[in-house]
Amino acid sequence: MDESRRERFEAVAPELIEPLRRFLARRTDAATADDVLAETLLVCWRRVAELPEEPLPWAYGVARNCLRNAERSTRRQERVAARLAQQPADPSAPEDLALHEALARLRPDDAELLRLWAWERLTPAEIATVLDITANAASIRLHRAREKLKDMLRKTAGAAGHEGSREGRRP
Amino acid sequence: MTDDELQARMRASDPAASLPLAAPHEVARLLEDVMATELTTESRETGTRNRGPLTWLVAAAAVLVIAGVGIFGVRALTGDDDPAPTAGPVPSATHLEVSAPAGSAKCMVPNAEVLASADVAFDGTVTGIVGDEVTLEPTHWYAGDPTETVVVTAPSVQMQRVASGVSFETGGRYLVSATDGQVSLCGFSAPYDEGLAAIYAEAFPT
Repeated sequence: MDESRRERFEAVAPELIEPLRRFLARRTDAATADDVLAETLLVCWRRVAELPEEPLPWAYGVARNCLRNAERSTRRQERVAARLAQQPADPSAPEDLALHEALARLRPDDAELLRLWAWERLTPAEIATVLDITANAASIRLHRAREKLKDMLRKTAGAAGHEGSREGRRP
Repeated sequence: MTDDELQARMRASDPAASLPLAAPHEVARLLEDVMATELTTESRETGTRNRGPLTWLVAAAAVLVIAGVGIFGVRALTGDDDPAPTAGPVPSATHLEVSAPAGSAKCMVPNAEVLASADVAFDGTVTGIVGDEVTLEPTHWYAGDPTETVVVTAPSVQMQRVASGVSFETGGRYLVSATDGQVSLCGFSAPYDEGLAAIYAEAFPT
């Protein structure tokens, strides 16, 4: 076995696991997250020589691709259906329905930019690595996506009564 | 709304906020399994060759998933590789097996009270490892009918790791206990150390 490969992986991988678990928990159900985490780590292990100095954004990019592959399977569709039936996952934190609905109405790419920015706390340059676009493009698109989301939230806030009645109906 | 306010609002409904940290031993196992994956597929000579690396990884992940609730037999998982050489009639040998803990995989701290329920317990040295059979020569019996040797059938090294089993090495001294022929894991059987020896002595007063 190539010991230097192993050393490099052992130095890097433990730091990747928590962020990757969180990345996946934000985007899929628990069972798929476990599968995709293992798959992502396997890719990192295979391609350990290609790991950049800052491996996390790169690893997010790998996880994103692995997740997309997993999402093609029908099993996952069933899991998502089960997951949606269970929401909210954390009863102590009331869901910001308006926010989730607004994110869902954005173009998927825009919503992903915003998630990477707010939840993974990435800089535009790091987002660019994840999405495989230029830093400049990431910066411009992030700015536009933020403005779109703010605009949507402003409009929803104007219709607060509507939101209240909807929340009341949730089981 | 400023960018900061927007970010704060998004972070307030971060779906991963309530996700607990992964247990360190699970992380360690996951990494070990990932690193073992490639080697396994290249060196394996038995009927599992056509399984892709992912099969093993998914199996490993599945082990992690079910560890909290599951019952799984390591011997069933290891299945067809390395069939145990049929042991000839060795005079006066105790035969034990290592398998994954049934029920909760959470390990309690080894204690004399639980250990006392074991029907075999001894202090011994590994004299040989052939295939998946480990032979030990007991130097002291705490419980059970003394025999000249003890043969422990252990799963493959890789699966031992997953099942947090005992890693037997030739020449090593071990404290081993077993119930119904199954070696007690989770720290109850381990390389000899004085702390564990004290627990053994307490569990089986002479």
